[in-house]
Amino acid sequence: MADQQDRPDACDVDRRVAVRDTYDRIATHFASTREYAWPEVESFVETHAGADGTGAVSREDAVGLDLGCGNCRHAELLAPYCERVVGLDVSRGLLETGRERAREREFDVALCQGDAARLPLSSDTVDIAVYVATLHHLPTRRARRVSLDELARVLDPDGRAVVSVWSTAHETFDETEGFDTTVDWTLPGGETVDRFYHIYAPDEFEAELAASALEVVDWEVSSGNCYATVAGSRV
Amino acid sequence: MKESLLEILCCPLDKHDLELEDAEYATDDDGDEADEIVAGVLVCSECGERYPIEDGIPNLLPPDMREETPA
Repeated sequence: MADQQDRPDACDVDRRVAVRDTYDRIATHFASTREYAWPEVESFVETHAGADGTGAVSREDAVGLDLGCGNCRHAELLAPYCERVVGLDVSRGLLETGRERAREREFDVALCQGDAARLPLSSDTVDIAVYVATLHHLPTRRARRVSLDELARVLDPDGRAVVSVWSTAHETFDETEGFDTTVDWTLPGGETVDRFYHIYAPDEFEAELAASALEVVDWEVSSGNCYATVAGSRV
Repeated sequence: MKESLLEILCCPLDKHDLELEDAEYATDDDGDEADEIVAGVLVCSECGERYPIEDGIPNLLPPDMREETPA
């Protein structure tokens, strides 16, 4: 069994289960509003999955990972460059929307239900990963730190990932320091469902990455989100 | 899921290999078994934790996050 100290406390798990349930509940509507890949992610994939043999994806059996895949719009971007792409999400409802998109658009994705802080993937197996708009849903700082270390573990040292979080740099927020909040999701019938977010201050996110086992390669704030390009752990 | 995915999956708790049990395979248009697993159980070779494959998607949530919660 895993070390006891790696295990989240019960309260933490309850809140993560609540995030899972929220996304199961809003999955279909949420996915329908997430049609397009983010341009920052397209740019990351073009840079690091380049077909010239110099990118992270130069192996024939390259593995891609869309962590917090939702409807798999970013797994779809990775698919042409990888032998296989894993789409992992905590919400079964969202995974079903990913399955539907893959069927409609004819790309392959290996779907998997899992926890971003306890990844069911072997070490150093991933060549290119997209971890966007997901980390900020983990309800405790400890879970978020463990999740970054887990990404470092599964990512090959020569692999690359883009990690994004919502930040205080967004015009929605007046705060300058990171904080926890809930953001309503309004379903078509008018019913609202709240979702947990930790809104990062950019320097806070930078410090979290520096404290993790990830190697930060590049860094930017764009459209109110922080983006980091990272490499896997060499330890 | 495809059986080859087992090459990179592991137990989310202790990261040991998983073994496939009770696998049911999809059938293709000719009625032959395809390489797509639609149901079965992934069992950790170390701690023995069992993870179900539900309608083709492996549920590798740790047991404390897997349970159904009341709606």
